[in-house]
Amino acid sequence: MVDEAAPVTTRAAADSAWRVRLQRGGELSGALLKNPTTVTGLVFIVLMIGMALLAPVLTEPNTPDPYQMPRDWEALAVPPGSPGHPLGTTNVGGDVLYGMIWGARTSLRLSLIVVSLTVIVGVTVGSVAGFRGGKVDEFLMRIVDVFLSIPELIFALAIAAVLGPSFRNIILALAVVFWVKYARIMRAQIIHVKENEYVDAARMIGDSPWRIYRRDVLPNSITPVVVQATLDMGNIVLVGATLSFIGLSEAGIAEWGVLVSEGQAGISAGRWWASTFPGLMVFLWALAFNLFGDGLRDVLDPRTESAR
Amino acid sequence: MTMTDPGRIEPVSATPVASVQNLRVHFRSKTGIVHAVDGVSFDIGDGETLGLVGETGCGKSVTARSFLGLVPMPPGIAAGGSILFRPHHTCPECDGHGCGRCHGSGRVPSACETCGGAGCDGCGDTGHHSVDLLALSSREMQDIRGDRIAMIFQDPGKALNPALSVRDQLSEVFYQHRSGELLSDVGLDGDGGGSGAVASLLRRKASLRTRRVEDALLAIPPLRGRRNELRAAVTARVAGALAETQIPNPLKVMERYPHELSGGMRQRVMIAQALACDPDLLIADEPTTALDVTVQARILELIRELQDRHQTSVLYISHDLSLVRRVCDRVAVMYAGRIVESAPTDEIFANPSHPYTRGLLAAIPSASHQRGRLVAIEGTVPELVDPPPGCRFAGRCPHEAPVCRGNDPVTSTVSPDHDVACFIHNAPDGLPDAPAFDRRVR
Amino acid sequence: MQIRDYIVRRLMVLPLLIVGVSIIVFTLTRVGGSPIGIYLSHEMSQEEVAELEERFHLNDPLPVQYAYWAAGVVRGDLGWSGVAAAPVTDVFLPKLAATMELAVSAAVVAVILGIALGTFAGARRNRLPDHLTRVFSISGAAMPLFWFAILLLIVFWVYLGWFPNGRSTPEVYARIAHPTNLYTVDAILAGDLGAFRDAVWHLVLPAVALGYGATAIIARMMRSSLVEELQEDYVDAARAKGLPERLVLRRHARRNALIPTVTVIGLSFGFLLQGSVVAEIIFQWPGLGRWMADSVLRGDQATIMAYVLFTSVLFLVVNLAVDVIYAYLDRRVVLGQ
Repeated sequence: MVDEAAPVTTRAAADSAWRVRLQRGGELSGALLKNPTTVTGLVFIVLMIGMALLAPVLTEPNTPDPYQMPRDWEALAVPPGSPGHPLGTTNVGGDVLYGMIWGARTSLRLSLIVVSLTVIVGVTVGSVAGFRGGKVDEFLMRIVDVFLSIPELIFALAIAAVLGPSFRNIILALAVVFWVKYARIMRAQIIHVKENEYVDAARMIGDSPWRIYRRDVLPNSITPVVVQATLDMGNIVLVGATLSFIGLSEAGIAEWGVLVSEGQAGISAGRWWASTFPGLMVFLWALAFNLFGDGLRDVLDPRTESAR
Repeated sequence: MTMTDPGRIEPVSATPVASVQNLRVHFRSKTGIVHAVDGVSFDIGDGETLGLVGETGCGKSVTARSFLGLVPMPPGIAAGGSILFRPHHTCPECDGHGCGRCHGSGRVPSACETCGGAGCDGCGDTGHHSVDLLALSSREMQDIRGDRIAMIFQDPGKALNPALSVRDQLSEVFYQHRSGELLSDVGLDGDGGGSGAVASLLRRKASLRTRRVEDALLAIPPLRGRRNELRAAVTARVAGALAETQIPNPLKVMERYPHELSGGMRQRVMIAQALACDPDLLIADEPTTALDVTVQARILELIRELQDRHQTSVLYISHDLSLVRRVCDRVAVMYAGRIVESAPTDEIFANPSHPYTRGLLAAIPSASHQRGRLVAIEGTVPELVDPPPGCRFAGRCPHEAPVCRGNDPVTSTVSPDHDVACFIHNAPDGLPDAPAFDRRVR
Repeated sequence: MQIRDYIVRRLMVLPLLIVGVSIIVFTLTRVGGSPIGIYLSHEMSQEEVAELEERFHLNDPLPVQYAYWAAGVVRGDLGWSGVAAAPVTDVFLPKLAATMELAVSAAVVAVILGIALGTFAGARRNRLPDHLTRVFSISGAAMPLFWFAILLLIVFWVYLGWFPNGRSTPEVYARIAHPTNLYTVDAILAGDLGAFRDAVWHLVLPAVALGYGATAIIARMMRSSLVEELQEDYVDAARAKGLPERLVLRRHARRNALIPTVTVIGLSFGFLLQGSVVAEIIFQWPGLGRWMADSVLRGDQATIMAYVLFTSVLFLVVNLAVDVIYAYLDRRVVLGQ
């Protein structure tokens, strides 16, 4: 099809990609809201984020640092339903409810920072590798392969250990580990999209590589990254809480993993609440984003729909 | 609409092997009920090859699959009708070798269980045993599938299991339907003779009922020998079936996996598998569409030849009229879930009487056509979601008249054994403006 | 491409990946500062410190230091573990045995249960068992192991008292010899049924806790690949042969559905490895994972390096094995990029 009008028409098709996307947006959200599990996920996400944002309203913030657990030395390890401590306290007098609410804020901070960092780095690396190809691609992908050879949690654990125990270092460690996935997804997508005719068409009419990338390639390759990012909003909190549980956060901060670890000391004495409630929050948080991410994938990537 | 008018000439043998009566298969979809097959009736005569022709999506494959209960339900709905099938058994006089009584086929129709062949109301005075394929239990259906009715699929690359060798796939048919014979080959009677644990284990093995532990047991030396005998009996049969389809070196080919064979070879394996139990009816769903043109001809020839030898009845599904002309005795043309015309092959090509059939025939490129000019039927196949009554071809038909919308066309007989569902041949009384072949709407 | 060539090529890449991992591990520990700290004490003079640095090549450029370390690793010298107060190599094997006993039990549970559940659900698509399995596997992906393990302990150890905590009962441990350090195997070797029962009893909770996530992943993959296979033509062809549904499922669909599931089994092994760190902390299991956790908290660099390197190599080897099995099982596969 080497006729003069061809590049223009295929070009128009690429240009309208965004418009089609917007148009499809309505249908997509409709399809999303039809699936009860996706809606459940969404509801939980809204509740959790609402909880995180409203933390100072829901509880009296601790002074000077609200992210530190308040200690009630008068009520150590009291069971749920005690006055002033509706969900009980830990062995060292931390209010479980306070930890759950402010833990949501901690988790939101953690996941937002890590996901944005990893998406930016991963998409950049993956794009360069996929778009440039050749030696650059080869080199970057070997690095990615090496990173993928180390199991996630163990890698993050080692990094956090080297940097020293603190919540900030957990964020850093997770960012170092999690970007690789995006690089890989993005590269695969770009290589796939690059083969489309509209990219050839754009090249034929002399568009600069950057323009082709921005207008034709990126919008058509980003979908799986969005899905993965949604899933990772949950996964990162899961792994982060695990690192905190192992002891890589500062002791005493309002974080779910830290609380579970604090509560663990009391379980042999039958004090189940201090671990159970904060752990439940981690579970629900990860579950919510998993459910929603799954629904998103079904809608955005209809190829997998039949298999679900 | 019905195609089984009493006045028409009967096919070769007295009783058709299968009669489809007013078959309706619908599908539930997001937009409504799709009437994929909507009142289809036809007979397949004994030893006859009936071609069911139509475009993709006209319901021909669904009709074929209904014979074997292979329409997934849900989303499919059995909305009505019946498929009467008259199973045969081995001819008692010649023991399957072919004689005068069975016209050389080695099979004779089973007698009706109520009247013993005398003819009664139950069997429609034919005296033959019949079953409604749509009303069978899954157990009964299993006994018919692969044994009395077999099927060849469109793409042999997909219809053969990639993880099993040719031998494994073919031996399943024998294990499933001929386990009695296999057992007597190794000296065990189907039921009585040979008792004890070993015999019962072998018996289970011969009908594919062994569990993994039992298989392991059978691989241990004292039992191994017996198992290998059984295996040899199956291998002989598999080799025989493959040889029937002119596969060279069957013993070697049966150890292969489907991906190691060419498309033509795969289809031969499929055919061998389908004909393994000498079925009464073979359903061939576009058996050559996925093959190279050069291979197509040879496969067609093979089917024709095997059919002649075994006098198997064939339901041949295709979208390709020119191909059907070479293989089939009779043709039924299907459009949008209904049969619009049916006639003997020569008759339908000589005297196509439905506008759709005419369009199809005109669309076949031939040497006489001017190069570069292909004829197509205008418009597209209608959506079959909750369709109103009326001719389905209305809207594309060049001879359309007001009567065609809102009234289901009535079937009329143009010549003996040639039926058409079109108002052109059956101008409705009292309804004005009947269509005619000279009319041109557009 | 032949399977053999494929294996050879993968085997050639393997050392490169291992070297890559070792570089990352080495760099990582050096970022945290000089490892001299563990050898120092307050009484040492400047000269003594300098001598130590000289002895451990800590004044050389980093690549040279890496070469010394890597040469040590190859010789089997993994350094001194401050946490275990012994050379890493000396304590490694018994701890590895403990971890392997746990991880393998969990893997066996996960593979059997995951495939069974996935088959059960996939064959009953969109019916109740399918929905329940979906809930089970989505929960599995979101379940924090540390929480699930604690819940199990609270219910089955604290309240019901059905299962013990720890790896063995001290008296039983003392009763028999431990040549392999796999307590179940040791009990069998000693012919001690009571000890075997004790070992299995202690394994149940940690194996269930550790195996849940992997079970969920495997079940999910099995389910979706079975659903996919059931839509293939060859399944209808098998039905058309007259095979009963049970055989269509067992001999045809499941066999092919297992192929993609195999790759997930390899991935979930990584899951088990990292999960063992948490499970061993909570169930007081004296394995590699707990040692790693202690080392992380106490800055035991030699152990961290050895552990990360070891688990990565193990993970790589398992995945290589899985890919080879996959290539063997899926006869259609055209190997290559």
